[in-house]
Amino acid sequence: MNASPPIADAVIDTAVDWMLRLESPQAGEADWLAFDSWLNADPLHAVAYDRAVLTAEDARAIGEVFRPQTANVIPFPRRAPSAPAQPQRRAIYGALAAAGLFAAIGAPMWMAAQPTIYSTAPGERRTVTLKDGSRIDLNGASRLSVKFSRGQRRTTLDGEAVFDVAKDASRPFYITSGDRQVRVVGTQFDVRRRDGRFSVTVARGIVEVAPVASASGATLRLTAGHRLDHTEGAADGHVSSVVAEETLGWRGGRLIYRDAPMGDVVADLNAQFARPITLSDGAGSLRFSGVLMVDDQDEVVRRLASLAPISSTVTKNEIVLRADPSAR
Amino acid sequence: MIRVSSATLVRPAHFGRKSVVSGPQSTPAGDEASLLGLYLIKRPNLVRFFAARLQSLAAAEDLAQDLYLKVVAVDPSTPVENPMALLYRMGSNLMLDRLRGERRTAARDDAWYRHRRVDIDGEDVVDEPEPEAAITARQRLAKLRDAAEALPPQMGRAFRLHKFEGLSQAETARAMGISVSAVEKHLSAALKALTRAMG
Repeated sequence: MNASPPIADAVIDTAVDWMLRLESPQAGEADWLAFDSWLNADPLHAVAYDRAVLTAEDARAIGEVFRPQTANVIPFPRRAPSAPAQPQRRAIYGALAAAGLFAAIGAPMWMAAQPTIYSTAPGERRTVTLKDGSRIDLNGASRLSVKFSRGQRRTTLDGEAVFDVAKDASRPFYITSGDRQVRVVGTQFDVRRRDGRFSVTVARGIVEVAPVASASGATLRLTAGHRLDHTEGAADGHVSSVVAEETLGWRGGRLIYRDAPMGDVVADLNAQFARPITLSDGAGSLRFSGVLMVDDQDEVVRRLASLAPISSTVTKNEIVLRADPSAR
Repeated sequence: MIRVSSATLVRPAHFGRKSVVSGPQSTPAGDEASLLGLYLIKRPNLVRFFAARLQSLAAAEDLAQDLYLKVVAVDPSTPVENPMALLYRMGSNLMLDRLRGERRTAARDDAWYRHRRVDIDGEDVVDEPEPEAAITARQRLAKLRDAAEALPPQMGRAFRLHKFEGLSQAETARAMGISVSAVEKHLSAALKALTRAMG
């Protein structure tokens, strides 16, 4: 462990008492204020408190790390303990694969992998945990195809998803979406492809975006807090710095925009509701800034119309948004 | 006047994080009835509290911004019984996330490494060294596990059932045939002994 200041046992004990007291649902403002003054009494108190919190945290982690992970174990034929060393073993696999014998002897799952498809209807959201521990929040009207192999993790996305990718430097994670491919090692970011427009917003880590083989353009590296907007077919895109949490806000039912094309707003709403919204009479060229809470479609449209110079015509089968004459 | 409503205007076209967040936060007017209003009024107190905990004013300011984003995301129609306690709790959870970040990544790498090794048990196809962070995390967890083994039997059992096996305090009490308050006492004593031991 790294060197840390010695802390009296009594201070550690008090820190644990505070932790347990504040974890209780009954803890009120007075408890927090008293805790605040305890913290302020001595800088070591905060250090002691962090130690207590991390010990509790490690204890939870022990359950996960040391318990056998049966759920994750991929069936694999066990061999005699006298198994040959690894290069030979690989050579044998190579020969078997070349001879097309794998299927016959029970190939490991990663050899026989068929893509797994996850899809959502408009308004439906789904969280998927992949077997590498990566977590994907799939927005409405989206489709994700996943295929893992030994050297790489490959996915294809239409629609929008937030990826929280488990780190594995030896197995990069790829997302193909339209004419762009995203490559990551381990990070959190949003990928969106709707109506020919593609964007990547990075919340943590670094993401690399490259054109697919059939498309042109530069390979870009995006770091946390940056967003790439790209129109399919174009050679390049536009990188801006953003508050990534806002782009990821759809997971909490909140759509947050800063000077966004009205077309993007409508595409996002169409991922949330079955009844399509269309733009007419110059509404497509408007830009929008604001926060929309996604609840009832009529309500959302009403609020959108109160924030932007548009009016709506609602029918049973669709909603048409028109720019107000003054905004055309 | 700032209030979280279903549709709140965001200042357009200012992308710098600081300028965006300081806009609404520097507004002196606040409405104590809403969580955001309370946040705006109590922000200086919260920053002081974060600074005491994080030992850094800059980190405390960052955290206050993160908290702002969380507060904005709370559905304003949700009734909150003790909003100030909720703000403290949300801030504390963000600090815990921060503390966890590094360790969780290490633990996940470790889990993945083990996963791969388990996959191909007997086949020995692992071709990379175990990441250093994962080794450190593993050693620390092993030390904690050993320290937990050394606790007095009843205390150790309560601790393992609750923390390692993930039983609730009530389930732990049932499993051991003791009262919930006895479980609480065991857990408190165990956490004190282990935090001391982990130094």
